[in-house]
Amino acid sequence: SSFAQTQTVIETANKNASSLSAATKPQATQAADKKAVDPSTLPTVIQAETMNGEPDRIVRMENNVIVTRGDTKLTAERASYLQIEDQLDASGNIELQRGADCYTGQLIRFALESGVGFVLKPSYFIARNNGQGKADRIDFASEERSTITNGTYSTCQGLDPDWYLKAETLNLDTGLDTGVAGKSVLYFKGVPIMATPGWMDFSFPLSGARHSGILPPTMGHSNKGGIEFGVPYYFNIAPNRDLTLRPKMIARRGLQMGIEGRYLGESYAGETAVEGISDKLTNTTRYAINSIHNQKLTPEAVFSWNLNRASDNDYPADFSNSTTKTAQRLLLREVGLDYYGSIWNASLRSTSYQVLQDPSAPITLPYERLPQLSFHAGQHDVVGLDWSVDALMTRFWHPTLIRGNRAVINPQVSFPIIQPAFFAVPKLSFHATQYELDNPAQGQASHYQRTIPSLSLDTGLIFERQASLLGEGMTQTLEPRLFYVNTPYRDQTALPLFDTALADFNFAQIFSENRFTGHDRIGDSNQVTAGLVSRFIEGDGTERFKFALGQRFYFNTQKVSLDGKSNPSRSDLLLAGNGQISNTLNVEAALQVSQSDRQSVRSSYGIHWQPAEKKVLNLQYQFQRDVLKQLELSGQWPISHRWYAVGKSNYSLLNRKLVEGLAGLEYRADCWALRFVAHRFATTTLNNNSGIAIQLELTGLARLGFGSNPIETLKKSINGYQPSTTN
Amino acid sequence: CGFALRGAVNLPFQSIYVGLPDSSALGGELKRHLRANGKTEVTSQATTAEVVLDVLGETREKTILSLNSQGRVREFNLTYNLKFRLRDKAGREVLAPTTISLKRNLSFKENEVLAKEAEETLLYRDMQSELVQQIMRRLAVVKMDTPST
Repeated sequence: SSFAQTQTVIETANKNASSLSAATKPQATQAADKKAVDPSTLPTVIQAETMNGEPDRIVRMENNVIVTRGDTKLTAERASYLQIEDQLDASGNIELQRGADCYTGQLIRFALESGVGFVLKPSYFIARNNGQGKADRIDFASEERSTITNGTYSTCQGLDPDWYLKAETLNLDTGLDTGVAGKSVLYFKGVPIMATPGWMDFSFPLSGARHSGILPPTMGHSNKGGIEFGVPYYFNIAPNRDLTLRPKMIARRGLQMGIEGRYLGESYAGETAVEGISDKLTNTTRYAINSIHNQKLTPEAVFSWNLNRASDNDYPADFSNSTTKTAQRLLLREVGLDYYGSIWNASLRSTSYQVLQDPSAPITLPYERLPQLSFHAGQHDVVGLDWSVDALMTRFWHPTLIRGNRAVINPQVSFPIIQPAFFAVPKLSFHATQYELDNPAQGQASHYQRTIPSLSLDTGLIFERQASLLGEGMTQTLEPRLFYVNTPYRDQTALPLFDTALADFNFAQIFSENRFTGHDRIGDSNQVTAGLVSRFIEGDGTERFKFALGQRFYFNTQKVSLDGKSNPSRSDLLLAGNGQISNTLNVEAALQVSQSDRQSVRSSYGIHWQPAEKKVLNLQYQFQRDVLKQLELSGQWPISHRWYAVGKSNYSLLNRKLVEGLAGLEYRADCWALRFVAHRFATTTLNNNSGIAIQLELTGLARLGFGSNPIETLKKSINGYQPSTTN
Repeated sequence: CGFALRGAVNLPFQSIYVGLPDSSALGGELKRHLRANGKTEVTSQATTAEVVLDVLGETREKTILSLNSQGRVREFNLTYNLKFRLRDKAGREVLAPTTISLKRNLSFKENEVLAKEAEETLLYRDMQSELVQQIMRRLAVVKMDTPST
């Protein structure tokens, strides 16, 4: 027998009276209801130009066949449906839509209810990440899981993708958001660039989410190791825990293995990186370790460590491709325990350093503190008074210099008077210090005591007026400030120098009592610091611009000194200005001028211009008399629709030498990005590192990692750099 | 030239809760300046305050500013970023998340590393004081909506 009508609704075993109306509900609503509706109750709607069959047994359809069930829709030229077996067979220009995913092919068989089945010679499209490709066959294990046999995978649009993965088997799971390829070859611009053997699965995320898998491989060349090739692998263990493996083949040195783990818990956080290599060039095992950990033991107590170690002086210079590692030649080892009370806190810690020596410019090993116990207590506003006590007990250890124990106690009391237009803070402090030396030098005692009181008065006024800056109405302030200090002289020439040096001369320093940092020297002073600050403040309270100047005037000659030089009657003059000229332009300038020769002692000027996203230019000049004179230009700039140029030049005018140079190009296509970076920087007196790195990022196949890759180098080198990442 | 002594600044709210722990030095200094204003009460509980200052992020960062010709650090850049917002009793933002960033230069020599550690502390404290001043400026001009009944 045959049906006269061209549309029918096949109801599933447990009949549902409202199934017809449910079938006509808009698709979106149905998809939203999907979870609430038992899938076995969904009606199936069949449309075709010709339809025949046996009732409750089989339906045969021909010409413009459309079968719909839930958010599954099949169109084909011919189809037949076995009702009891729930088996749909279709052929001729098949198009199967499941949600937003789509499959086209020649022949298909699948169960409407479970989604299980297969399609032959299909093309497919997965909406979630734009994944698409062709295959010999796709088997559907469920609505979410499918296996692609002899297929391709790409996130590029069109018939001729820029890159694709060709795999013997490819398992896609939209529920788990994972793609896993068996034996496969990766093609870029038609050229095979990478192959994975059958025993090693290659997995990738079906969306941009954090996911275990291979990170974009980095290829490069360096003057220290020759050609390098690294394929990092990222394990997303849990949302708050991950691990990255960094195997890297270095042509002249061998295989370097690196492992990096990060974790974050409610009461702890940390990260540890270890890398090592059996170096063919030096015939030694070389390694580096960096580990940071913080652990809240109780709400008040925190345990922490910061441990860094390298196997030898040259490790960072030989293996690092960024100045952040090579520029620091002191590797800290620190273990600490901190306790925070309500009005006091205490900490116990041990610190020491590994020095990475440069034979041409040796560094004195810093003192080790084994351990240091520090205590701070203080309260604000106790009957108008602020008080604090700092106590510090330290054992200073050094293999060759004078060793000893030092105890410092420094109580302070101040009486701040703070008004909107005026403030005055008189303050009295007292330093008591005791030394016990293990191995005093000739003529030095083993025991010293030093007590020094200090009196200071900090005062200031705040004036305001309505002004305009570059045409915008603002509040301008004028804030004169005077800071007087009187500290009597004590002869301290016999005391060791454990942790003390002359402080930088800057605005923070000239308004503090002691010109030394550390506790081994307390400078005698009878001096006043005069400062003047003017700010431009927008209507919403945002500070747009600030000018400042300051100078110290001495009423007597300072006797405590580290180098035996006496001071003139006036200090250097400090001048500074910084702020936003416009939304895109920031400027800053700071200048320290000597009063004896009217020459600048230290200066710094900077301009930061960021007119648009991924468009930035920085110009920076840094000067320290006899130490540093550098001009730095860096930036990122689009040179065409898809090309970006990045660059940095840090040139020492003092030594007529390029300290750091970097040039790079980035190309951003729709489904991939290519980066090329050449980098050269000084690592020691005689040595430079230079290298190039190439990174190809294929969208949707490998997520960008963290750590040592060209992007990180660019981020650290260029202020304001924004990667043209694809996810 | 038009300058006059700054007049009394009344904050546009009667009481505030500062979402920073007691052990926070920044919180201590900020509370002291809020109290110094006289009219505004600093409460010890969020529920009893007219406005709540939420600190959404407080980060300190130390990056290399300059290297010498031997490739060694000669200056660091210290940055102090604070992101905060102000909410009223009903939870509405009266000041949208605002970031204040400050920075300082710190010269560096390897043989003064322990002294530089103390200097770093001094510079962060200096930035903290400036941060408090800038927060106060922003709090002084927030627009409180007419209270909902």
